[in-house]
Amino acid sequence: MSRLEAKKPSLCKSEPLTSEKVRATLSVWKGIVSSCYGPSGRLKQVHNGFGGYVCTTSQSSSLLSHLLVTHPILKILTTSMQNHVSCFSDCGLFTAILCCNLIENVQRIGLTPTTVIKLNKRLLRLCTNYLKSEACGCRLPVDFSSTQILLCLVRSILTSKPASMLTRKEIDHISTLILKAFLLTIPEKPEDHIILGKSIIVPLKGQRVIDSTVLPGILIEMSEVQLMKLLPIKKSGALKVALFCTTLSGDLSDTGEGTVVVSCGVSLENAVLDQLLNLGRQLVSDHVDLVLCQKVIHPSLKQLLSVHRVIAVDRIGVALMEPLSKVTGTQPIGSLGSISPSSYGSVKDLCTAKFGSKHFFHLIPNEATICSLLLCNRNDTAWDELKLTCQTALHVLQLTIKEPWVLLGGGCTETHLAAYIRHKTHNEPESILKDDGCTQTELHLMAEAFCSALESLAASLEHDGGEILTDMKYGHFWSVQADSPSAVNWPDLLSQCGCGLYNSREELSWSFLRSTRHPFTPQTCLPHEAVGSGSNLTVDCWTAKLSGLEVAVETANLILDLSYVIEDKN
Amino acid sequence: PSSMAAAGSVKAALQVAEVLETIVSCCVGPEGRQVLCTKPTGEVLLSRDGGRLLEALHLEHPIARMIVACVSSHLKKTGDGAKTFIIFLCHLLRGLHAVTDREKDSLICKNIQTHGRHWKNCCQWKFISQSLLMFQTQVLDCIMDQYLSRHFLSIFSSAKERTLSRSSLELLLEAYFCGRVGRNNQKFISQLMCDYFFKCMTCESGIDVFELVDDCFVELNVGVTGLPVSDSRIVAGLVLHRDFSVYCPADGDIRIVMVTETIQPLFLTSGSEFILNSEAQFQTSQFWVMERTKAIMKHLHSQSVKLLLSSVKQPDLVIYYAGLNGISVVECLSSEEVSLIQRIIGLSPFVLPQASSQCEISDTALVKFCKPLILRSKRYVHLGLASTRTFIPHCIVLCGPVQGLIEQHEGALHGAFKMLRQLFKDLDLNYMTEANDQNDTSSPLISKNSRESNQLPEIGNGSLQSPRQDTAVKNKDKLEKTQTYLIVNSNLVVSNVELEMYIPCSTAKLTPTGTFQTDETLRCLSLGKNTIIDNCEPLIESNSTVNSITENTRIEISYENLQVTKIAGKDSMLPVRCELPDMCTSQSYYSSSMPAGCVLPVGGNFEILLHYYLLNYAKKCQQSEQTMVSMIVANALLGIPKILYKSKKGNYSFPQVYIRALHALQTNQPLVSSQTGLESVAGKYQLLTSVLQCLTKILTIDLVINVKRQPQKVYDQDSEDEL
Repeated sequence: MSRLEAKKPSLCKSEPLTSEKVRATLSVWKGIVSSCYGPSGRLKQVHNGFGGYVCTTSQSSSLLSHLLVTHPILKILTTSMQNHVSCFSDCGLFTAILCCNLIENVQRIGLTPTTVIKLNKRLLRLCTNYLKSEACGCRLPVDFSSTQILLCLVRSILTSKPASMLTRKEIDHISTLILKAFLLTIPEKPEDHIILGKSIIVPLKGQRVIDSTVLPGILIEMSEVQLMKLLPIKKSGALKVALFCTTLSGDLSDTGEGTVVVSCGVSLENAVLDQLLNLGRQLVSDHVDLVLCQKVIHPSLKQLLSVHRVIAVDRIGVALMEPLSKVTGTQPIGSLGSISPSSYGSVKDLCTAKFGSKHFFHLIPNEATICSLLLCNRNDTAWDELKLTCQTALHVLQLTIKEPWVLLGGGCTETHLAAYIRHKTHNEPESILKDDGCTQTELHLMAEAFCSALESLAASLEHDGGEILTDMKYGHFWSVQADSPSAVNWPDLLSQCGCGLYNSREELSWSFLRSTRHPFTPQTCLPHEAVGSGSNLTVDCWTAKLSGLEVAVETANLILDLSYVIEDKN
Repeated sequence: PSSMAAAGSVKAALQVAEVLETIVSCCVGPEGRQVLCTKPTGEVLLSRDGGRLLEALHLEHPIARMIVACVSSHLKKTGDGAKTFIIFLCHLLRGLHAVTDREKDSLICKNIQTHGRHWKNCCQWKFISQSLLMFQTQVLDCIMDQYLSRHFLSIFSSAKERTLSRSSLELLLEAYFCGRVGRNNQKFISQLMCDYFFKCMTCESGIDVFELVDDCFVELNVGVTGLPVSDSRIVAGLVLHRDFSVYCPADGDIRIVMVTETIQPLFLTSGSEFILNSEAQFQTSQFWVMERTKAIMKHLHSQSVKLLLSSVKQPDLVIYYAGLNGISVVECLSSEEVSLIQRIIGLSPFVLPQASSQCEISDTALVKFCKPLILRSKRYVHLGLASTRTFIPHCIVLCGPVQGLIEQHEGALHGAFKMLRQLFKDLDLNYMTEANDQNDTSSPLISKNSRESNQLPEIGNGSLQSPRQDTAVKNKDKLEKTQTYLIVNSNLVVSNVELEMYIPCSTAKLTPTGTFQTDETLRCLSLGKNTIIDNCEPLIESNSTVNSITENTRIEISYENLQVTKIAGKDSMLPVRCELPDMCTSQSYYSSSMPAGCVLPVGGNFEILLHYYLLNYAKKCQQSEQTMVSMIVANALLGIPKILYKSKKGNYSFPQVYIRALHALQTNQPLVSSQTGLESVAGKYQLLTSVLQCLTKILTIDLVINVKRQPQKVYDQDSEDEL
């Protein structure tokens, strides 16, 4: 019986952002995310206190999925970040911090929400247009004829996730593996539509990171005993493969809605088994060498197949079905009756492999865009973090192939962008305002809030009390160690900027990021040699960061526009 | 308890409405802001949609709940105006409340017991609610048709063919989305909608397309979270919210079929019984099932079918044979998707024959393409449905950082189609002008003529006398002025032929006082001006008309100059009263219609215009309760532009705008609007009638009874009895 209950009235609060509690909540949240940001970010340990899973992380994706927020405004913020991360994998913290900074700064300047939203939108347009333009001074084109920039990109992602606990050498190793795995997913034959393959990450916990490796084809894990039974593999050369998606366990198939009356002595199980064995005989006569089944194979059928030296592997699971079908070129079979010869596929070779304590059955394809990345790390939590990082890196590489640019990392894009906005709003405010009904003073106030949000985002890369500087030519990000003597020659203390493009040998002038500066024209066009010689640059994904910027500003606008919060208390 | 409930109607309703107004008014108009709602499931929703906000509040107060129910039924029809509804209702209640307050000070009520007063009040409210209904059926449509219509603009560039230019649609949509979407996305969403509209429409499209899009809006858009709103776009064809079960790439036009059952024959149908005598028998039947499936799929292949759409999950066997035969399969389509495809390309599901091994596929259709569409790493089926004569199928991909925002945009777009659907329809205006009405006019007539004002409540049925008496005293000195005004009026319409006939009659009937007589003739003239008596019938009829006229005049006079009535009415009362029962009301029915596509510039134009004409009407109106109702409605209408111009200063502040508009109307100059954008008149009109209906409902409730019992399921009593 259904129970009807009166709905409780909702709780309605006006002007939510002015409440002290909300501000406190937001600043706590900002503290959490900004302390995680960057290579020297602090790790967070999330656990539920009841002996559950402990997660050590500094990545936005795992942080967001483990944290439980209750305040509606914070919920908007976190879901927005989560959605961004699930789209782009990268730049989650960037988006979160920028959004918090914007909200905080805007509240301080006290403009009306209408004005703020209008101007925010204008400034965002300014940024995105600049980042998309040819003249952009913080964007590098990706040269696919060399691996340099791509390696830099992967390395930057790995370095920015300290919770995977990698040494410099390990970072280099994993970066090459990731890039290799990515390249293996690109089809060799050029076609109109390039459909990228898949890199399957195979866990191998408790091993040294250096033992990680990439193999073409698919690894199917199985116990040693199982593997011994399958051996020896009889022939070399290509093997014929049949892949079943239907169960071969001998269960009665769905008989519909009517009733079946079975006479005494008639065994339906036998009838089905007969059918299975017939199928087995057909497979044998078709010279199939390898039978793979998503579900369970009946022991009798297995026996029959192994007698005829056909290898049968069952319980493959649905996740591997698509890659398997791709690797072998088979059509997953859903019938127990006659099998069309066209549904069979083949593999180049088959072997067994042992990595650490695990045994694998390795399918080597003729040519396919599927590869397996065997990923090792010392412990569970570090492995989880590393796996996420690898997925992020692979995804970012995919995004970069679509839009072949990278942005300068290490805080340089942010400071450069801030310098650009300051310069633009100072020199040509009319072109930004267009008759929007906003005054220039309002624009300057808002631009200051926007720029300082970007700059304090860059500044949150520094967690050790160091000082942040910016140069007055490129508008890049420079950091000085905490305990360095003050008032000395800056070039002695600074070696290179955040992204590594410029070094302090050049004649530059610096100023503290926090201090007020005169707006200057940041040099826009990148030196040509910089594009080529980027051997050790820190770079970020262009697509993810651009979208992150847009999402951050949009979300901030949304939150600033709230006049009421209605909480359903049911 | 009854005294507690006595406060029930207007005062309580006003309190409730005022609370709602404060919440809702923050979201009204281009300056409106967002409201964040959380659902019990923990999801968050952003909204500026009044209807959604009201529902999210889960109000407890019975009157509030009634108001919300009224709003949502209004929204179902029009898709717009929930916020304006509340504001307007609130102002109406305020107006009514002000009238009541005045009443409390008056002498009459003081010596009446509290309890009695409550019931008297209720009667009075009921009376007002009746006149509200009358206002709606008679006055509103009349004014819309006769006065307001001259200000209407048409959205169509050519009225005959109903062609719509992009610029005017843009103006309409921008104004619409201003009130529905967050400020940073208004322009974008409005452009998106505009693009969508013109991409979907052919030159032959009519109202049926709006109906189609309105009905199937959910199927015609896809939400993608995590991307900025600016990534939203329109894609040609139809996007199904699921992935292929089998995908076989194919070029060129693709033949499709649709099924609603599994292609693999059921081993046993429901209710049947299968007696198995041997294992071979079972295997044979299994084999038959398999062969049959194979045959059907082969047949589909031979008919060059390349895509199978199924509303149910197909067994592995079907999927396997589909793959072998190069047929892509999409399973588990929702019934809405099936019906949408049916509506667009007229493809009906094919029925599998029961017996024969060969099946004829009666219905296939061609699509231009069929391919997977990947949106944010989720795969969808993208179908290039062919366009029909009236509709070119397109889908909207809505992006946004959070689901709540996407839902808001989806709701707004859907509402916009509802609004357009309304706009493309002609709106019928039916009104009936009654020269007199027995119930309404007889009672004030009696009471006014009796000189003992203290006895009024007992004689009359407790209606509207008192405010009039109050004002009557006040207006004593205005008598002169009114008369001069009336004379001016009479000069204007002397040429009216129909009226000349009545004037002698009425003068013959009512001779007692000179002033009265003149007044009355004048009244006739002004009546004639409104062309109420259109179906002028022979002299027999004219007698009754005269009656009505005398009556009306009397009321009018009593409103304005009490003394005159007192003297004049004494003698004339009896004959008039005698004729009341057999009075045949002379009514004129008008039915006119507002053509589709009527719009007005935004920024309170409709409200100010209607306000102006209602006031004018009220000045001329003879029936005092109609005057009052018209005044209240007219003043309440101003509440909306007041909020819209709240943040404006100087020349654009509300008083300035209002004065300019009035001046323009009085001097017959065109109205100048400071804002660009258009709004549908039909929508506004419907809103007005919905609010008036809601108010009528509120007024007719006399007692709110609170029951302390858990809500129970309502069972159909009849069916239980039958059992």
